[in-house]
Amino acid sequence: MSFVSVQKLHKSYAGSPVFENIDCRIERGEFVTLLGPSGCGKSTLLRCIAGLTPVDSGQILLDDHDIVPLSPQKRGIGMVFQSYALFPNMTVEQNVAFGLRMQKVKTDESQARVREALALVELGNFAGRYPHQLSGGQCQRVALARSLVTRPRLLLLDEPLSALDARIRKHLREQIRAIQRELGLTTIFVTHDQEEALTLSDRIFLMNQGRIVQSGDAETLYTAPVDLFAAGFIGNYNLLDADSASRLLQRPVTSRLAIRPESITLGINGELDAEVRSHSLLGNVIRYRVQVREVELVVDVLNRSPADLHADGQRVSVSIDPTALREVA
Amino acid sequence: MTAPKSSSARGRYLALLCLLPFAVCFVIFQIAPLAWVAINSLQSEAGWGVANFSKVFASKFYLQALQRSLEISFWSSLFGIVIATLGAYSLRQVDSKLRDFVSAFANMTSNFAGVPLAFAFIILLGFNGALTLLLKQVGLLEDFSIYSKSGLILVYTYFQIPLGVLLLYPAFDALREDWRESAALLGASHWQFWRHIGLPVLAPALLGTFVILLANALGAYATVYALTTGNFNVLPIRIAGLVAGDISLDPNLASALAMVLVGLMTLVTVVHQWLLKRSYHAR
Amino acid sequence: MRADARSGGWYHRAVVYLLFLILLLPLAGTLLYSLATSWSASLLPSGLTFKWYIALWSEPRFLAVFGQSLLVCVGALLLSVVLILPLLFVVHYHFPRLDALMNILILLPFAVPPVVSSVGLLQLYGSGPMAMVGTPWILIGCYFTIALPFMYRAITNNLQAINLRDLMDAAQLLGANTWQAALLVVLPNLRKGLMVALLLSFSFLFGEFVFANLLVGTRYETLQVYLNNMRNSSGHFNSALVISYFAFVLVLTWVANRLNKDKT
Repeated sequence: MSFVSVQKLHKSYAGSPVFENIDCRIERGEFVTLLGPSGCGKSTLLRCIAGLTPVDSGQILLDDHDIVPLSPQKRGIGMVFQSYALFPNMTVEQNVAFGLRMQKVKTDESQARVREALALVELGNFAGRYPHQLSGGQCQRVALARSLVTRPRLLLLDEPLSALDARIRKHLREQIRAIQRELGLTTIFVTHDQEEALTLSDRIFLMNQGRIVQSGDAETLYTAPVDLFAAGFIGNYNLLDADSASRLLQRPVTSRLAIRPESITLGINGELDAEVRSHSLLGNVIRYRVQVREVELVVDVLNRSPADLHADGQRVSVSIDPTALREVA
Repeated sequence: MTAPKSSSARGRYLALLCLLPFAVCFVIFQIAPLAWVAINSLQSEAGWGVANFSKVFASKFYLQALQRSLEISFWSSLFGIVIATLGAYSLRQVDSKLRDFVSAFANMTSNFAGVPLAFAFIILLGFNGALTLLLKQVGLLEDFSIYSKSGLILVYTYFQIPLGVLLLYPAFDALREDWRESAALLGASHWQFWRHIGLPVLAPALLGTFVILLANALGAYATVYALTTGNFNVLPIRIAGLVAGDISLDPNLASALAMVLVGLMTLVTVVHQWLLKRSYHAR
Repeated sequence: MRADARSGGWYHRAVVYLLFLILLLPLAGTLLYSLATSWSASLLPSGLTFKWYIALWSEPRFLAVFGQSLLVCVGALLLSVVLILPLLFVVHYHFPRLDALMNILILLPFAVPPVVSSVGLLQLYGSGPMAMVGTPWILIGCYFTIALPFMYRAITNNLQAINLRDLMDAAQLLGANTWQAALLVVLPNLRKGLMVALLLSFSFLFGEFVFANLLVGTRYETLQVYLNNMRNSSGHFNSALVISYFAFVLVLTWVANRLNKDKT
C-alpha cells in the first residue's frame, strides 16, 4: 500500500472547481514534487493534505488511515511555508521548540532535540536570535528545523524557495534534499520552477488546471512529455505544428512535433542548410535561433570552445536526431 | 527623495510667508490658551508658586474628582477595549457586505457621543427608562442609577467601543494567517495560538489603543455634563465649574487642575508613542 | 483571509450582530421616543405620531440654531482649507523636515482637552483688545484647531500617494511655474481626499459641545447647546431633535463613504 494515497478528491471554491477527482499515490520515503503554473491547484492540493483547506469530497489516506476528518493539529504533518511563518515574538530556539511544547515534551528532551534540529540546518549558533534579525535563507532553515523536530510522518513544502534569491535557493534546495534523504522522510514539494522539480525529485506530478497531466521521474517527464502543455512547460522544446513539421522533414506529418533544442546538432557538416538568426549566451550553453527551410528552431549548443560561437547571419548546417522527434497531442 | 528644488532665497521667504497665517491662528487658538493655563497655574493670591497645586492635592473634594476621573476612564476603557477587540476580530472574519455595513454603522455612532448620547441613555436607563423597567421586572436590576459612577462607566464604555473598533481593525493586519496555520500544524489549539502568538504580537496595538481610550475618557466633558447637569465630581466638570459656573470663579485654580489633567494626558500620549515604537519589534 | 465557511463562522456572525445591536440600542430607543405619543414608566410607547418632528421643524429657534451651527462649521472648515492647504504644500514641497514637527504639533488638540483650552481662552479673549468670547469668531478659530489633525493627516496621506514632488517636477519641466503647477496639477488630484476629510471633520464639528457651551453659550446657540438647554422641555421633542441631528450627520457620512469608495 502506498504511504500517501489521495483518492477522488474534489474541491471547489466559490462555485468553480479547483480540482475534481484527483488521484495520486506516494510511497514511503519518496520525494515527490507537484509542479505546474500558477493557479493549477498544486498549492490547494497541498493545503488539503495538510488540513488547512477543507475538501468537498474524497479521501486522503496517510498510512492507511483517512485523515480528511482530522484537524491539522492531529495529522502529524510538518509544513514549510513560502513566507516562513516564523513567530515574530519568539526566538529561533522558542520557534523550533514550539511543536514539542504543544506535545508536552519534557524540557530536557525538548532542548536536546531542538539543538539537534538546529545543527541539522547548520544554525546552532543562532538559537537566541529573533526572526527579524535573520536573513531569508536563515528564516527558511529555521522553519525547516521547526517542522522536522516534531518527527512528522510527512513533510510538505509550499514553494519554500520562491522568496529567496538565486544563490541561496540553490544551496538551500540541496540542503533540503540531503536532510530528506538522511531522515528517509516522505516529502511533497510544490513549485512552479521546473529546474527545482527536475533536480530534487524522485517523482514529479505535473499539474495543469486542476488535473495531474503527467507523473513520472525527471527523465521520463523531460524526454517523453505526453502533450502540448507538458512539452511547453518542461524544458525548451521546439513545438512545431503539423505543417511546419512536414516542411522541415520533407515528409507528411500528421501531428504536432516536439524537438529538444539540445538534440539538434549545429556545425558545418550537417544535413540541412540553416542560417543563424540570433543567439544568446546563457553561460555554459549558447542558445541559437536558426532558420531551416522556413521553420525557426531553437538550438542549444555547449559552449566548449570559440568554434562553437557563430555570428548572426552566418550560414551553418544542422542535423536532427530522428529518435529525438516526439509526437505530442 | 530628491533634494528640495527651491531655487532662490526669495522663493523660500515666500513659502515661509504662506505658513504665517496658519501659525498665527494656531498660536492664538491653541498655543496661547495652553500657555496661559500653564503660567497661571503657578499664580495665586500669594504670587508665584505651587499654592494652587497644594490646594488641589490637599482637598478631599478635588482628590475625589481625580480619583473618579481615573476610575471611570480606566474601567470604561477596559470594557471598551475588550468589546472592541472581540468585535473587530469577528468583523474581519465575516463576509464583506455585513462587514462594510457594521463598520460604517460603528463609524456613524461615534458621532452620537456627547449630549445626544446622554439623552438616549436617560430615555433607556433613566429612572423611568424602558430598559430599567424591563430589567427590574425580570429581576436583573435592583438599584441602578445611570447618574452614578457605574452608570457613567456604562455610558462611557458605549462611546469607547466605536473608537476602539476603528483603531483596532487595522491592527489585526499584523496577524498573518500563515502563523495560525503553522501553529495548527505544530499542534496548537485555538486558545494556545492566541496565548502564545496572537496576543503577544497584538499586545503593542492593544495597549496603544487602550491608552488612547484612556485619554479620550479623561478629557470627556459633554457626556457627563449633559447626563448629570454638571453635578458629577470629575476633573473636567470641576475645571469648567471654576471658570464658567455660578459659584466662585478661580481661573488660577482651574489652571492648576487643568495642568493636572494635561499632565495625565501627556503621560498617556507619551506612553502611546513609546508603545508604537516597540511594535516595530514584532514586525 | 480564508473566506471558507468554517464551523466558527456562526460565532463571528453572532458577535458582529451583537455589536450592531449594542450600538443600535440607544439610537433605537431615541427614535422610538421621538415617534411616541407618550412613553413614561412603561415598556413600550402608548402610540406613534409625527407631531414632535413637525413641532421641531416649525420651531423658529431650532431653525435659527441649525443655521448658526451650519454657519460656524462651514466657516471653520473654510478657514481650515485656506490655512492648511498652503501649509501642507509648503511643508511637503519646500521643508519636508517640518513634517516631523507638524506631526507633533497636531497631537496638541488631542493631548489638550477642550476644557483645558477653554480656561485660557476665556481669560485671554474674554475682554480687552481681542475680545471674542460670546461671538461665533472664537468658535470658528477653535473649530479650526479641532479639524486640523483630521485634515492634515488625510491630505498628507493623499499627497504622499500622488507623489507630490514628481508631479511638481514634471509640471515644471513642461513649463509651469510653482503657482500654476500647484493650482492646476496638484489641487485637482487632492479633491477627493479633501472632500472626504471635510465631510468627516464637519460631522465631528457639528457634534461639538464643550467650546460651544463654555465660550459662547446661549449668545450664539449651536445645535448641541440648544439641545442641552432644552433638557427641561419635552423628552419627545428632544428625541426628535437628536434624531434629526443624527439623520443629517448620517447623510454626510454616507456621502463621504461613497466618495471614499469612488477613490479606490
